[in-house]
Amino acid sequence: MKILLVDDEVELVSAMAERLSFRSVDADWTDNGETALKMAAETDYAVAVLDMKMPKMGGLELQESLAAEHPDMKFIFLSGHGSESDFKAGCAAGCNYLIKPVQIESLMDKIQEALA
Amino acid sequence: MTQTPADTRQGLQFFGRISASVSHEIKNVFAVINEAAGLIEDFTLMAERGMPIDPERLKKAANSIQGQIRRGDGIVKNMNAFAHSTDEDVREIDLVDTLSLTVALTTRLADMKQVSLSMGECPPVSLRANAFDLMQLLHSFIAAALENLTAGDSLVMSVKPLEGGASFSLSVPGKDAPVVLETMLSFPSQAICANMELNESAGTCELRLSASQP
Repeated sequence: MKILLVDDEVELVSAMAERLSFRSVDADWTDNGETALKMAAETDYAVAVLDMKMPKMGGLELQESLAAEHPDMKFIFLSGHGSESDFKAGCAAGCNYLIKPVQIESLMDKIQEALA
Repeated sequence: MTQTPADTRQGLQFFGRISASVSHEIKNVFAVINEAAGLIEDFTLMAERGMPIDPERLKKAANSIQGQIRRGDGIVKNMNAFAHSTDEDVREIDLVDTLSLTVALTTRLADMKQVSLSMGECPPVSLRANAFDLMQLLHSFIAAALENLTAGDSLVMSVKPLEGGASFSLSVPGKDAPVVLETMLSFPSQAICANMELNESAGTCELRLSASQP
């Protein structure tokens, strides 16, 4: 089982991937949506963890593109905003939603929930 | 100049947009610090179980925290300066400082459009004006220019003295002057005496402030 992490904050997403690896979760990461789509075309990811606000391609748009190509992929949104509109959009997409900063245990729980 | 309820509402919306952008940046700073601190904790837990710690990894995590604290300090410093722009209705304003602060507060908006925003050559210039209104106008000016730019463009902002007043200019090196329509400036234009001109020979779009501000 592999996880894809996408966030334009490189220090955040790389540390998160490393911490997940310590918990036996194999996570790849990238800082943009275009690369995420290419990575997902080559690797079978069970869950994608997406930042809501990213340059060029935001989390919602990326989720739609990934879901169209990979119908079984599950999604978790991360946001620094915590805005009501973001929350509603994330919920409307049927996804889990976490507000930054995220406790690694909460992320682990959401990953397990998404896979259940 | 009397402020109408619509002007006040527009001012509040501008304050809200900047505050939301700043709070988002601070959230990201906290999130990176949280992960770096979490990594250090993970290394410590693994060391307790007998795994050796790589000093370089610890150093990298500590450097990340220190770097984010510097980043956060800069963001909060800018937010504080922005908040103090409402202290007085009119005062003598250092226009280079004001432009620099507006650029800093608008950089996230430019980043989201993948446009680099920077300051060009700016000789010293000051003017008596309302600092908050001026920042709102400059932010609208930059935001309107960003609408017409594409990913990878560089937007350079400058200011210089002009006939007792000042001229703020936008340019995109390697491209024609960015077109900014008056209608795209979501700002009560009466609040500051300004007019906009396209200077094709200089390759700039200019926002000119007259010497006598209301």
